[in-house]
Amino acid sequence: MATVTFKGASRIYPRAKNPAVNELNLEIRDGEFIVLVGPSGCGKTTSLRMLAGLEPVDAGDIFIDERSVVRLPPRERDIAMVFQNYALYPHMDVAGNLGFALKIAKVKKSEIKTRVAEAAKILDLEDYLDRKPGQLSGGQRQRVAMGRAIVRQPRVFLMDEPLSNLDAKLRVATRSEIAALQRRLGVTTVYVTHDQVEAMTMGDRVAVMKDGVLQQVDVPSVLYDSPVNAFVAGFIGSPAMNLVEGTVGSEGVAIGSTVVAVPRALKDTAGTGKVTVGLRPESLELAGEGAGIPAVVNLVEELGAEAYIYARLAHHVDQATFAATPDFIVRVNPKSAPKSGSAVELHVKPDSMLLFDADSGARITAA
Amino acid sequence: MLARRYIYRVIGLLVLLLFVAFFGVPLLWLLLAPTKTDYQLAHQAPLAFGSLGTFIHTFNRVINYQGGLMLTWLKNSAIYSGGGTALALLAAIPAGYGLALTQFIGRRTLLAVTLVVMIMPATALVMPLFLEASAVNLVGTAWAVILPFAFFPFGVYLAYIYFSSTIPKDLLAAARIDGAGEWGVFLHVALPLARPIVALVAFFAFVGDWTNYYLPFVMTYTNSEYPVTVGLQILIGSAPIFSPTASGYAGSEIYRPDLAMATLIGALPILIIFLFAQRTLVKGMLAGATKG
Repeated sequence: MATVTFKGASRIYPRAKNPAVNELNLEIRDGEFIVLVGPSGCGKTTSLRMLAGLEPVDAGDIFIDERSVVRLPPRERDIAMVFQNYALYPHMDVAGNLGFALKIAKVKKSEIKTRVAEAAKILDLEDYLDRKPGQLSGGQRQRVAMGRAIVRQPRVFLMDEPLSNLDAKLRVATRSEIAALQRRLGVTTVYVTHDQVEAMTMGDRVAVMKDGVLQQVDVPSVLYDSPVNAFVAGFIGSPAMNLVEGTVGSEGVAIGSTVVAVPRALKDTAGTGKVTVGLRPESLELAGEGAGIPAVVNLVEELGAEAYIYARLAHHVDQATFAATPDFIVRVNPKSAPKSGSAVELHVKPDSMLLFDADSGARITAA
Repeated sequence: MLARRYIYRVIGLLVLLLFVAFFGVPLLWLLLAPTKTDYQLAHQAPLAFGSLGTFIHTFNRVINYQGGLMLTWLKNSAIYSGGGTALALLAAIPAGYGLALTQFIGRRTLLAVTLVVMIMPATALVMPLFLEASAVNLVGTAWAVILPFAFFPFGVYLAYIYFSSTIPKDLLAAARIDGAGEWGVFLHVALPLARPIVALVAFFAFVGDWTNYYLPFVMTYTNSEYPVTVGLQILIGSAPIFSPTASGYAGSEIYRPDLAMATLIGALPILIIFLFAQRTLVKGMLAGATKG
């Protein structure tokens, strides 16, 4: 077990204009489960491969415990990795796959057998030890890939989108299994995914990346409640946060022609002029006539315990901005959900509005 | 419509038959020739069958020619081709792997050079190779044939194509993370998955070496050193009908059916090897390597 520290670590691909990973600074605690998340091309997988030693570090440094690893080949870093495509050795049976690293390390045959059997028991693979990967289902292959990592008893687990090849139901089940397994083993884990739900449900902390730059790293609830910028705000949460243009005036923030009051301290730092307003679906509620932002319901999504309405703000219902502006998503009680096509008014719950700089996207907070 | 399709089919079939006849008849003739005596071969219909007795008699004549020279030639061919193929594999498979899956300075240049020498006619290299072998006193030894056979750029290229197209890079990365060094990755992961290409390169190398005439002709001096290809030339040289000056030792004359038989005997090992190699060639080894 170990800590992992990225210190200004950068990766610049030859002939690329921007770095794939730009001065990443990240301290991962011993035993922590950290998730790197972001849209494709954000540098999360590259960061992981830099830590694994599969990708060179062009600037900066990476430490496992106190030791810099950037000049060490992968085999000297004492890490284990689960690949997106599992990368199982097709010519070896499951037992051979699980025990390969131990065989290379010249561990005694009897001990390899014990440790493979242990891992197989944990992962429910005991009946498949003599099968080749080609004879296994997707879920079983995924478990073999996990098993290959845990047999090693490495200092750090690296996982690169290990669930992306599973179907939706299996993915949810495996998600909690991996999280539980990691907590039980207590091995420091760096997990990469593009799925923010996976990130929020699995990670002790979540690091959000965009365009090679780390945006924010924190526990899931802080990311959700206090995103540092509009990107994190829009990326974390499902359904996504509503982001809309507003204008700060003396009374509050105007969204279309409706003015929503904001706390004085927040308004003071915001100054006057255009801002980006962020509203979670649960920050809004249906209000009586004249009490909120007018909108027209496009679609109602009933999920049983809750319902979401997708509504078009009244001041967006004109030809010029129609395509450019997404629907506003509002969580409502399914018992009293409006019909699609009906006109509603949306009331912003007190103190639930987030403001971001209209140009930089940075969060505006009360001084 | 139906009639038209039928006509196309018949035309297609006729064209195919024509090709079969064009390439098949000479082979058939070669198979039938040793069943006949020299006189029968010259005077009977080309595809007439002589007798099985004559076939066996011809076989014995060829095998016992000058105290079993044919067997010596076959043995030499086996040593030259076997040795050459083994060395060619030893060089070509790791070279193809290196060119396909590792990064080093000069990789692209080396690949280009491989391609260039691959398309160069092998015969063009025989003279300089002879001078080289002569300079280090190898001419007249098996090494003078085996070492040039080990040079097999086509095999390097085949291995390169195979490794770069069928081995997922993550598989090698997984082995590296699992603790394997570069040799370990090659030996434990890449090589076991490369069995089909090893078989293919071995087959091409062996056939090329076995049927090579000019290089061993230049590099070897005596009857006891010749491979079967050069030996066939010696046989033709001692057939009175082709070389009127050939001195016929009593009982050692060579006739035309004998030449056909010697050709068949010379080609037989290749046929047998092909039958064995083919099985490995079609084996799909990569099922389930990644998601599939």
